[in-house]
Amino acid sequence: MRERLRIALTKGRLQDNSVALFEAMGIDCTPIKSPGRRLIHSIPNYPMDAVLSKAPDVITYVSHGVCDLGIVGKDTLMEHIENMGRYYEVLDLGFGKCRFALAVKQGTDFYGTYKLRRIASKYPEVTRSFFAQKGMDVDIIKIEGSVELAPLVELADAIVDIVETGSTLKANGLVAIETVALVSARLIVNPASMKLYKQEMVDFISKVEAELRRQI
Amino acid sequence: MNYIVNTPEGTRDRLFGECRERRLVQSALTHLFRQRGFAEVITPEVEFYDLFHQTNNTIPQEQMLKIIDRSGKIVVLRPDCTTPIARVAATKLKDSVRPQRLYYNQMVYRSGAAHLGDSTEIAQCGVEILGAGGLKPELEAIALAVDSLRACGLERFHVEIGHAGFYQEIISKMDITESAAEQVRACVAGKNYAALNRLLEEYREQPACDILRRISRMYGGVEVLDEAEALSGGSETISYLRELYSLLEKAGYGSFLRFDLGMVSHMDYYTGVIFHGYVEGAANEVVSGGRYDNLVSNFGREAHAIGFAVNVDAVARCLPPVELPVPEAVVHFAPEYLRDALNLIDSHPAGAWQLSPCNRVESSLNLAREKGIGKVIVVDENGQRELEVTDHA
Repeated sequence: MRERLRIALTKGRLQDNSVALFEAMGIDCTPIKSPGRRLIHSIPNYPMDAVLSKAPDVITYVSHGVCDLGIVGKDTLMEHIENMGRYYEVLDLGFGKCRFALAVKQGTDFYGTYKLRRIASKYPEVTRSFFAQKGMDVDIIKIEGSVELAPLVELADAIVDIVETGSTLKANGLVAIETVALVSARLIVNPASMKLYKQEMVDFISKVEAELRRQI
Repeated sequence: MNYIVNTPEGTRDRLFGECRERRLVQSALTHLFRQRGFAEVITPEVEFYDLFHQTNNTIPQEQMLKIIDRSGKIVVLRPDCTTPIARVAATKLKDSVRPQRLYYNQMVYRSGAAHLGDSTEIAQCGVEILGAGGLKPELEAIALAVDSLRACGLERFHVEIGHAGFYQEIISKMDITESAAEQVRACVAGKNYAALNRLLEEYREQPACDILRRISRMYGGVEVLDEAEALSGGSETISYLRELYSLLEKAGYGSFLRFDLGMVSHMDYYTGVIFHGYVEGAANEVVSGGRYDNLVSNFGREAHAIGFAVNVDAVARCLPPVELPVPEAVVHFAPEYLRDALNLIDSHPAGAWQLSPCNRVESSLNLAREKGIGKVIVVDENGQRELEVTDHA
């Protein structure tokens, strides 16, 4: 028996989407919407508490079992492979949709050379595993800010980045030449919580599933 | 980083109470194992890398801590206890009467990613039953897993049972490529419902698809077996698990047992039942085991095998902290009266009395005061007398 489940939500846009989903399920999200200085928010009409955190921390909290569930983007899950196997990725929530793409300067023939290529990305692990699958050697440079700059100043031959509309790429003379992976928000759960508090977990997960089905 | 004062990533010094907590769990477990007829083996802390690499082990190579020895061979700090024990069983014990009931109380070393709060050093206590197949060793191992957690003082836990055979039965009915099957297995193992459904979309015409779609949700109480039975239209493995359960229930283990038919993480390794122990307060399983009938043959001899390991520190963390004994007295002794002083100390409970290293009685009083110890016992040519330690000198 678990009196209250605890869920970690990714701050920002995914938080808004999560709140919209919960409200559609009839869950009162007032405390999450006006958080004040509190860090743990008690849901008034559902036995659950919510915490808001940065995306990678959602995975950390769930992996360590201090949160039973979490909502986080597939992009973050793919980058943080060190946590793989420490959570179950039960549902694709369908929101926060975008894709990882390989992009180059317009007119570049990326694959048409044997020379070493340099890739800039905020997601070095996603980039590494993409090229490893192709059996290609590349140099990967981690960039923290606007990755689009790297090919423009000729630090890199290409970038791997999140693309939503492609307008930033276009404005900088870049073009996406390949999709690396599709991204959307996922519901992850701690394996031990899933087993020890099966009833409570399954209740919540099936409510989410029912709502997702209704929205289709 | 200062390499003199810091310990390597994933390691640390453990002091006092933490040591006792680990030792108490170890002694509860080893006592129980001996009670059930298991004999201890100690295998080397370092082994050849090939031992683990060439035996289809479940430990990824990046997790093994490697050393190049003087002759240039790669050796590793023992990353797992079972593989060396399988070697012992197939070599040193090859002529002994089967089955062998072996237990170990050893460290394993696994180098994880940085900053995850993982320890590189993992204290494990576990058993292996080698050279016996069939139902009875499985009953014994699962019962022992439950009893192990109880012996440590835990009450709120489950031992969850799966079976490698059930998934094999289903996947073998599917017309699916090996690489797609591997993707399906990964989704089932990670309970990735969404990706599993997407993957299976292409195979929806195939009869086994329905149960494959459900399998990662088939966990929980014994009712899971009913669903599996109904969906699979009768399965040898499910009937077997039912028999196993009813016998364990009859022996009083029912309330601790759960099932997870989607337990398919190490399918190349496990060949029969697989089981995990989950305890309230631990984010991961604290017991892990199963039947692994293929391992021993790597060493040139076939043998059925089943066993499990308990993560000692993970169990200790779920238990109330150990209170260390508070010292009650310091014994100030004239050097010629060492025997009398030691006799006094040994006649009191462990840790209650201790020797003072000081030459002057005043120094011993100060020492007792600083350590918060209430009295000083003086032993010298005048016999034995007790001094009260006051708050100020």
